[in-house]
Amino acid sequence: MTAKTNKIRAFQGGASIKPGGVYWMRYVIPALAFYVVFMAYPMIDSVRLSLYSGTAGTREFVGLANYVRLFTDEVVSKRFWNAFGNNWVFFAWHMLLQNALGILFAAILTNRTMRGRQFYQTLIFIPCTIAVLVTGYLFKLMMNPVWAGTTLKAAGLGFLVRPWLGDRSTALTCVSLVSVWQWVGIPTMMFVAAFQGIDDDLIEAASIEGATPWQQFTLIRIPLIVPVIGMVAIMTFVSNFNAFDVVFSMETLDGAPDYTTDLIGTLFYRYGIAGQHPVGIPEPGVGAAISTSIFFMLLCGVIPVLRTTQGKE
Amino acid sequence: MSHAVIIDKAVKRYGDFQAVNGISLTIKPGEFFTLLGPSGCGKTTLLRMIAGFNTVDGGEIRFDDSVINNVPAHKRDIGMVFQNYAIFPHLNVTDNVAYGLKARKVPNAEIGPRVMEALKMVQIDHLATRKPNELSGGQQQRVALARAFVIEPSVLLMDEPLSNLDAKLRVQMRTTIKKLQRRLGITTVYVTHDQEEALAISDRIAVMKEGNIMQVGAPEEIYRKPANPFVANFIGVSNFIDCDVNASGGKAEVTIEGKYHISMPANQAYQGAAILSARPEQLFLSDKGIPGVITLALFLGDFVQYEIRLENDQVIELNEYTKDTDSTRAVGENVFVDFNPRQVSLYKKDSQEVLSC
Repeated sequence: MTAKTNKIRAFQGGASIKPGGVYWMRYVIPALAFYVVFMAYPMIDSVRLSLYSGTAGTREFVGLANYVRLFTDEVVSKRFWNAFGNNWVFFAWHMLLQNALGILFAAILTNRTMRGRQFYQTLIFIPCTIAVLVTGYLFKLMMNPVWAGTTLKAAGLGFLVRPWLGDRSTALTCVSLVSVWQWVGIPTMMFVAAFQGIDDDLIEAASIEGATPWQQFTLIRIPLIVPVIGMVAIMTFVSNFNAFDVVFSMETLDGAPDYTTDLIGTLFYRYGIAGQHPVGIPEPGVGAAISTSIFFMLLCGVIPVLRTTQGKE
Repeated sequence: MSHAVIIDKAVKRYGDFQAVNGISLTIKPGEFFTLLGPSGCGKTTLLRMIAGFNTVDGGEIRFDDSVINNVPAHKRDIGMVFQNYAIFPHLNVTDNVAYGLKARKVPNAEIGPRVMEALKMVQIDHLATRKPNELSGGQQQRVALARAFVIEPSVLLMDEPLSNLDAKLRVQMRTTIKKLQRRLGITTVYVTHDQEEALAISDRIAVMKEGNIMQVGAPEEIYRKPANPFVANFIGVSNFIDCDVNASGGKAEVTIEGKYHISMPANQAYQGAAILSARPEQLFLSDKGIPGVITLALFLGDFVQYEIRLENDQVIELNEYTKDTDSTRAVGENVFVDFNPRQVSLYKKDSQEVLSC
C-alpha cells in the first residue's frame, strides 16, 4: 500500500513534488544508462588504463609513469609533439580551406538564381559516402609517379609527375588536401541548411536599405549563421584530431615519409594497439596516456569556441 | 527629395498566370497611396516590383523620369516596412536602424544623431540598446518604421505593416504612420487588404482585383461612388438589387421588381437590365418603395440592423439609426424600403459598367 500511495501522491501535484526531487530521474534513466555504459565508462576506464603498464593479465599499477615517459622520454615525446604539430597542420587545412569552401559552395548553392542545386549538392556530397580507405588508395595511385606518370606525361602534364607522397615537404599537404576533398560536402550541407534557414525578408530588407550583395553576405548572412560556423569548427577540430584512416591508407601506419604525416591517431595506434616497430609489443598504458592527454587538450579547444559562438537563447 | 512613381502598363507573369495585368498608375510626389484588394489580387506583387524583388515582365516603372526596371533593389533608394518587420535578429535596435546609413556610407559622426532622431520619432529611444527578441510586436514594428524612415528614402513601401498587431495597436500605429508620412513628405505606397485601414490612412486608393485596377480615387470617392459592383462590395457593405433601366438625356427611369419606379441621374443612354447598389445606411424604411418583410432586427445601440426579405426572396441589409426613430420594428412586419436616388449607384448588369453619376 505505501509504495503505491506514495506514487499516487507524487502525481497529484502540489507539495508532494519537491523541486529537485528524484521523480524526473526515471525519465532520464534509459539515456543515462546508455551513456554511462557506452561512453562514460570506456572513457574513464581509458584514464584508469593510463596508470598501468603491461597488457591484460600482466597489468601493473605504475602511477603517472606513462605520462612521465610520454613527455620526458626523448623518442616518445619527440614522436608525440611531432604528431601533435602535424595534427594542427592537418586541422588548419580543414578549418581554413574545407570550411571556407563549404561556405562558398553553400552561398552559391543557395543563390536564388541557381539552377540545378540538387545536382551540384549531390556531386559535392558523393565523396563523403565513399570509404576513406578506398579514396586513400585511389589518390595514392594517382599521386604515384610510376603508376600515373605515363598518363600525365601523355596529357602534357609532366610537371605533375612527382613523388608527392614520398617527399617530406609535400606529403602532409597532399594527405590533408585529399581529406579536404573528401569531406567538404559535410560543411557544405550544414551551411546550405543554415543559409536556407535565414528569412528571405531579412535579405530583402538589407538590400532595400542599400546593402550591396557583398554587404548582405558579410553583415547579414554570415553573422546569422555564426552558431552553425561554431558547430562546424568544433566538429572539424574533434574529427581531425581523431583522424587515422586517411594517413593509414596513403602513408602507412608510420606516417611516412619519416613521420611527416604521423597524426595523434596513427601514433596512438602504434603505441597502444599495434606495437612499435621492430619489437611489436603494444603498450596500452602509453596509448591510454596519449588519448587522455589529447582528450583534455581538445576540451581546452572546444569549450571557448562553444562559449563564444552558441548564443544563450 | 521624394519622387513620383509612375507605373506604365506593368506586367508580371508566373508561367501562364498573369499576376499583374498591364497596370498603369501615377503616384504623385509626397502622396500616401494605397493598393487595396483581397489576397491574390496582385497588390503585393506590384509592390515587390516597385521594390525590385520581382522582375518587371512588361511595361515599365519610373521614379520621376528614370526607368528603374533593371535597377537592383539596393540602388533604388527606397525604404520598406515588411509585414513581419524583418528586423535583423543579431543586431540591437540602434544597429538595426543604423544599418541602412552604414550601407550608404554615411559618415559615422552623422549616423548616431540621425538614428537617435528616428528612434525619438517613433518613441522608442529608450529601447535603443535592446535586442529584437526583447521587444514586443508593436515595438518591433516601430523599429521597422524607424529603419525605413531614417535613410530618408525617396519612396517608402509598406507591405501590410499593421496586420500582425492587435486591433487597438493597429489603430494607434496607423495614426503614427500617417503623421510621420505627412511630416516627412515621402511618397508612400502602402499595401493592405483592410479597407477601413485604407480609408483612414490614404490620400488615394487603388482597388485591385485579379491583377487589374478596379478603381483609383480618394477614399471618400471610392466609398461614395464605387466604379463597379466589386468595389461597392469590397469597400464597406452593399446590397445589390436587380432592376430594369431606361436611361436617356442624363436621366434614368429605374423599375424594381416591376413595382417601384424611381428616377436617377445617369451618365449615358442605356436600356436593359441593371444592378442597383445601396449601402445599408443609404436605405430607409418608408411608406413607399420596395415591398418586403423584416426577418431579423438586431438592436446595436446607435443603430438597428434589419434583414429584410424582398418579394423575390432576396435578403437585403438595412441600418436604421436610433436617433431617427422612436421604436424598433418587429420581425414579420411588412415594410417598404426606400432610398435617396442621388446616393446609390447603378451598374449595367452585363458589363458592370457604372450608369449613375
